[in-house]
Amino acid sequence: MSESDRPVVLIVEDEPDVAETYKLWLRNDYEVRMAHDGDEGLDLLDDSVDVVLLDRMMPGLSGDEVLERIRERDLGCRVSMVTAVEPDFDILEMGFDAYLSKPIRSEQLHETVENLLERSEYDTLLQEYYSLVEKQATLEASKSSAELEESDEYDELKEEIGELKSELSESLGGIGDDADFIATLRGLSNGEDE
Amino acid sequence: MVKTNKLSENMYDLSTVLDFDALDSVRPGTSLLVAGPAMSGKEALAMDVLKDGVGNGEGAVVVTTNDRASSVVDEFRTDVPEMDDSQLGVVDCRGDNSGGEAAQSGAYTHHVNSPGDLTGIGIGITKALEGLHKSGRDQGRLALVSLSTMLTYTDKKTVFKLCHILSSRLDSAGYVGVFTIDSGAHDDQTLQVIKQAFDGLIEFREEDGTRQARVMGLTSQPSEWKEL
Repeated sequence: MSESDRPVVLIVEDEPDVAETYKLWLRNDYEVRMAHDGDEGLDLLDDSVDVVLLDRMMPGLSGDEVLERIRERDLGCRVSMVTAVEPDFDILEMGFDAYLSKPIRSEQLHETVENLLERSEYDTLLQEYYSLVEKQATLEASKSSAELEESDEYDELKEEIGELKSELSESLGGIGDDADFIATLRGLSNGEDE
Repeated sequence: MVKTNKLSENMYDLSTVLDFDALDSVRPGTSLLVAGPAMSGKEALAMDVLKDGVGNGEGAVVVTTNDRASSVVDEFRTDVPEMDDSQLGVVDCRGDNSGGEAAQSGAYTHHVNSPGDLTGIGIGITKALEGLHKSGRDQGRLALVSLSTMLTYTDKKTVFKLCHILSSRLDSAGYVGVFTIDSGAHDDQTLQVIKQAFDGLIEFREEDGTRQARVMGLTSQPSEWKEL
């Protein structure tokens, strides 16, 4: 856990002016950490980091290499690539969760970070939803339907499941876009071995 | 996106494939689980649902863990001769990249390394949907055959979440989804959990030497078992 309850954003950017600008924009809403190259970025990464803004072109480790190490370490953070040019390849297949092309405006940066945080929130809700559904299945397997009808616990569970289901359908616009869809599936594969 | 006509409001009639009242007006975005023992016709039903849609000019996406993409394309061409290749997308997850399919056709095929590669499957589905959308197919049906194979590659928690996410994606696309599972291959609790990720259930069984089916979840009461 971080010291504050605010989400943690790690900026990995070799140009100090650019990094400072991002920090200035984000610091009111998030706890911001800064790394000046890929190695430092990997050092600063731990479970408390929610979102990484990763410059693609840096001296030393490239953004792609840093991403690969992040995925290997199986950290739950979401990663947005920051590029100088609009990428001409399929961003989704590369394993990034989002991308921002320079120059970035404050509003864009906020939108991207918020969307990535919402995806993490979705993952959490989905995990909670699964736990309750599994609990329901266990109850149904161990009790008769008469017993279930009497059970307050079962009633409450069903109600909670209903609430979570509608919360999920509103989150991320109900998985309305391709990037959200792929990133959510990627989150499943990443978390599989836990 | 400009939506002049409210195509997404068009209901899907699946009762021409399986004659149940509950299936004659299925809301876009509905995902159905098709459960039954081995050889009970669930996979044929899933394919028939898609072929019927193709016959109506709709799009179709087949996600298969069992069949070669080329055999799926051939089967659709044979059974729905009026099909335009642009109506069909196949995501082949067998992980057998033996190649030799390049000359296939205009039907979109995507190969995924393994039924456990969920991101790859997602990318395949995304591209298939994108292709269908570009060719003007705003209605369509997706089949995933089968969840039982996926359950041998990954745990029930992951498959449950996958089903939930796919259902949400199909809901946004206004598609109907049919997902098959071999009810004899998993314990009751697994089936019970997986069912919860769907809007409804089509169940098959063998009784007194006849094949029977019923539909649950789409209407307030489950349908009666009906001989096929």
